[in-house]
Amino acid sequence: MATAIRAERLSKSYGHTPALVSLDLEVAEDEVIGYLGPNGAGKTTTLRLLLGLLRASAGRAEIFGIDCQRDPVAAHARLAYVPGEANLWPSLTGEETLHLLGRVQGHVDAPYRDALIDRFELDPGKRVRAYSKGNRQKLILIAALMTRADLLLLDEPTSGLDPLMEEAFRQCIREASERGQTVFLSSHILSEVEALCDRVAILRAGRLVEVGTLADMRHLSALSIQAEFDGSPPDLSKVPGVKLLDVEGNRVRCQVTGSVEPLLSALAAAGTRRLISREPSLEELFLAHYGSENAAPETPDAA
Amino acid sequence: MPRDGGLAATVVASRTARRAIRSGAAWGAVFAVYIASSAYTYTSSYPTPAARAKLATSLAGNAGLAALFGPAHRLGTVAGFTAWRSMAFLTIVGAIWAMLLATRLTRGEEDEGRWELLLSGLTTRGRAAIQAVAGIGLGIGCVWGVTALFTILTGSSSKVDFSVGGSVFLATALVAGAAMFGAVGLVTAQLAATRRQANGIGAAILGGAYLVRVAADTGTGLAWLRWATPLGWAENLRPLSGSHPLALAPIGGLIAVLVIVAVLVAARRDLGGSVIQPRDAPAARTRLLTGPTGLSARLTLTVGAGWVAGLAVLGLVLGLVAQSASSAISGSATIEKAIARLGGHRGGADTYLGISFLIAAALVAFAAAGQITSTRNEESAGHVDHLLVRPVARWRWLSGRLLIAGALVVAASVATGVAGWVGAATQHSDVGLGSLVQAGLNIAPPALFVLGVGCLLYGVWPRFAPGATYGLVAWSLVIELVGSVAKSNHVLLDTSVLSHITPAPAANPNWVAALWLVGLGAIAAAAGTAAFVRRDLASA
Repeated sequence: MATAIRAERLSKSYGHTPALVSLDLEVAEDEVIGYLGPNGAGKTTTLRLLLGLLRASAGRAEIFGIDCQRDPVAAHARLAYVPGEANLWPSLTGEETLHLLGRVQGHVDAPYRDALIDRFELDPGKRVRAYSKGNRQKLILIAALMTRADLLLLDEPTSGLDPLMEEAFRQCIREASERGQTVFLSSHILSEVEALCDRVAILRAGRLVEVGTLADMRHLSALSIQAEFDGSPPDLSKVPGVKLLDVEGNRVRCQVTGSVEPLLSALAAAGTRRLISREPSLEELFLAHYGSENAAPETPDAA
Repeated sequence: MPRDGGLAATVVASRTARRAIRSGAAWGAVFAVYIASSAYTYTSSYPTPAARAKLATSLAGNAGLAALFGPAHRLGTVAGFTAWRSMAFLTIVGAIWAMLLATRLTRGEEDEGRWELLLSGLTTRGRAAIQAVAGIGLGIGCVWGVTALFTILTGSSSKVDFSVGGSVFLATALVAGAAMFGAVGLVTAQLAATRRQANGIGAAILGGAYLVRVAADTGTGLAWLRWATPLGWAENLRPLSGSHPLALAPIGGLIAVLVIVAVLVAARRDLGGSVIQPRDAPAARTRLLTGPTGLSARLTLTVGAGWVAGLAVLGLVLGLVAQSASSAISGSATIEKAIARLGGHRGGADTYLGISFLIAAALVAFAAAGQITSTRNEESAGHVDHLLVRPVARWRWLSGRLLIAGALVVAASVATGVAGWVGAATQHSDVGLGSLVQAGLNIAPPALFVLGVGCLLYGVWPRFAPGATYGLVAWSLVIELVGSVAKSNHVLLDTSVLSHITPAPAANPNWVAALWLVGLGAIAAAAGTAAFVRRDLASA
């Protein structure tokens, strides 16, 4: 499989403040990858480096083998980008904006554009100034999707969209993926990433801390345990692998990494009434990385 | 969001005041320099009572000048001349400034969504409007303070000799136009849907007020019309030449009424809403929208048409008065020397046009600085991102943008010359079309140079480029104003971009110097473009 995005030690710092530290990342063609991180983690910096809008402090990046920093124009011919903030020209109408951006891009699937306008229920006759934030975001989404570009770079693309439009967006991404388009989705809406992405990369304070499929990450990561006891719960804090322990009356919640054997024997000895265990949601994975600095300072080791 | 109620309650006032005072102090300085230069021009050009009497008689009989610049009183005195010359120019400049300031700090802030944040706090729309009024008032007060202070200083010289009270009253009269049209701007900002529309309505009102004033001052028994226009009230104050403080009453009344109307409308309308409904669903016009340069043309069209029309009107006015004004200035040794210093040698209407086209040159250069500002705004607002993430090279966007700006500069320059010829021809002045078209072209090179230097600043130092580019033009203008009277120091004069052109049509344009200016500008623009291609895009 060919590579859509390749970043090698890609770095950006502002003065002495690092915004992105030595990012190594490969995204295969026709993959849908989620790019997660809290505000200020460096998600937008990564995208703007890939677009050549920012100059890399070190390292390099390629899109379909084209150096994004040296030849951004050639790279841009293969991609479409949706920024998180739709700062369009306020005096142009929606129709004029789509016309202009289509002409600038060079190729537009016109029937698909019209279908998108219907699907997102956009009235293209109004000036951008008169649009709500959600409508501006729809406009910029349509402008990107209508090009059928090989790579979609999306930076929190659904900000301001209502749940119905969010669903329409997800449908578009699924279709794009089926057509073989590559999607790079930067987001902090975890349900969106969980629903759409094959793989997830997690960024923290400018560093990539985790990349993998959701299944792998769940497997390697902590298991969520809830237990109810007849009497008062035992002290589980000394049991190997147990983290994020939370005791409430005769109920206990915790996460366990590595082997569950020690915990199971501790629970069996204490007279457990009910036991629920499940794989963590993406949200829990995410919180395990960022949650409380002191509770989970490191990524869980695979046992 | 500040938790402290007191802080939240005055945040609009302090934000507005900070920006208004900064701008007011700068314009106060311009007013002060202009007044001082007027007084010193007079004392050095007309040192003897005989020379003064001759000037007074020649100007007094000039109905054309009176119509355009208002009637002159006591031209045989420094005070009378200074008051006339500064009222004629600074009242209008102050009115434009204050109107633009008022719309920028109210409707402009609202357009950009800043008031939304502030008004979600502890203040209401009505109170926020009152605070904005207070802030803008402080800015106008600042112009008044600086002007009064420096006029007192200028007046303390024994040759000039203004009384302290007279100086303060001159400052008051000069700021009256600013205060009234600032208030007009406050109201139009409430009525209009966008800042641009607010400025358009305000400009129409100012233009109307000026035309009524011109009609009143033609000396054909329409003098009573002076009471029908705010600009006439300001004129009736007659600072330093028989003061009539009574005319302050309608001025104060108008300001009070307009401010109350503005606050009431602000309190009653929706945030972002307007009394005049915007046309938000026009038919699509896609003819120009084929690429980055076409877009730049489309976005510059309105502003560009405004500059071309404005300079054409200026050129027309200068042409209309050239013949009569030239007879007024002939015979002044200093003015002839100034012409000679600038490289001029002809007499008559050519001389007058040659000097006054320098003002047009400064205005065209300001238009160029404005183009650098809007280029930077395109980037800081994030608009240009939408082009540059598509297959558009950065140099292609920027060079197209500069091309449009350059076309605007040349069009405005030629319009000045052609309109000047039309005006002069109606007065049977003996000035040829060819020579005035050349004079128009002659004012373009400094502006093109400013455009190039502005582009260099923009490439290297984007956040400061607009301010620095305006600064370069303002500096040049000050040097020209001071240089026309002070002992000319060549090194200092050379720092003005405006001192590198000849005062055409009083002299032949120096095309070699013009080519140098344009060439250096082009080199600066190329360097700026190269820097822009290599730097990070920087938002606000």
